[in-house]
Amino acid sequence: MSMDTRRIDPEDVLLLAADTARVVLESGGETYRAEDAAQAVCSALGGAEAECFATPTGIQLSFTGFDGRVHSIVRRVKKRSMNLERLSRVNDLARRLYAGELDFDGAARELDLTERRPGYPLGVSLAAAATGTGFFTLLFGGGWNDALVAAAVGALLSRVTRILARRQISDFFTNIAGGAAAALLCLAAEHLGLAASADTTIIGVIMLLVPGVAITNAIRDTIAGDLVAGVARGADAFMAAAAISIGSGGAFELWRRLFPGTL
Amino acid sequence: MNAALGLVWAAVATAGFAVLFELHLREVPLAATGAILGWGVYTLSGGEGGTAVACFAAAAAVGVYAELLAALRRRPAAVYIVCAIIPIVPGGGMYYTMLASVRGDLAKSLELGFRTLQAAGAIAAGLAVSSAIARLISLERLARRLGGRREKPRI
Repeated sequence: MSMDTRRIDPEDVLLLAADTARVVLESGGETYRAEDAAQAVCSALGGAEAECFATPTGIQLSFTGFDGRVHSIVRRVKKRSMNLERLSRVNDLARRLYAGELDFDGAARELDLTERRPGYPLGVSLAAAATGTGFFTLLFGGGWNDALVAAAVGALLSRVTRILARRQISDFFTNIAGGAAAALLCLAAEHLGLAASADTTIIGVIMLLVPGVAITNAIRDTIAGDLVAGVARGADAFMAAAAISIGSGGAFELWRRLFPGTL
Repeated sequence: MNAALGLVWAAVATAGFAVLFELHLREVPLAATGAILGWGVYTLSGGEGGTAVACFAAAAAVGVYAELLAALRRRPAAVYIVCAIIPIVPGGGMYYTMLASVRGDLAKSLELGFRTLQAAGAIAAGLAVSSAIARLISLERLARRLGGRREKPRI
């Protein structure tokens, strides 16, 4: 096996390793995991002195091939979303390749399958969004009627943000629109007597957008010594929170002007 | 709100988010159990006010649980952490901080912002401590003894 791996074109190894790291980052994996995965792929396939530098928005990777030349590649990471099944599959791929349970072709095929793997069907995702937002509203002290409103708005919001993301609308605008829509719908529900407290309902719905995990990961990256990645993730979380509150703050203001005295 | 009921709400809400994050259906109950653990520790250590100590303790508990599962189920610990940590993560704090600053209430925004950063820092520290513990006592070896499969290089 060791003889075979040495004959794989270093350029192919480079592409496989960079794509592995890219999928880790696109699926919401930690920075060090992306770097470790790329290095594992390189050294499993005969690359020496593999070094990878990853940030949330890009990857730089280089190693010395069996031909004694240094090969390197730069990859941008454009879309990031949480996909935990994809993350564990790509992690497993790198691990098995490193352990010698997979060869180059197997790993390339596995990566391709992982990337094209369909997620949960639409109905399941909508039900999941409704469950998550509804029960968070209960957890934050809302009543059952608040939870029902939050579930309905949450399902709608998750669908709309997914469509906007697919149309490549920027996260910033998506979050402004999402924050505004969530606030307006919840205020309307309160006004119509469907929900008891718009505030609790809004915070349950907003959990879909809010970067709580992102700010925690930013600090985790910083603690782990990935300073550039940590600062970048912090900026990402900060901008997301700012956009959501610009949206919902604007919606509150609009409501105050349209229906004076109801807030 | 009844404390036991809170655990149920946290578990179900986490299960919803786990599916939204495309976690495999087999792993969803494990993630929800982690949320019960985290939320339980959080409320027991007086977390409703969002104190750093409660965040730290809850995150450390979730972290150890996730590291143990990671070794047993051979998936990255992050898979369980991301889900189980959601109820205690200061998403609401980020939102209220920014909302206060959008409305021009600088003092409130600063206070909330500081508390949010404190909570996030405490959670991150709790997770860092648990992963250090996992490396020290080698949970993987423990997991192997508990019936996990054979040890693999850690990636």
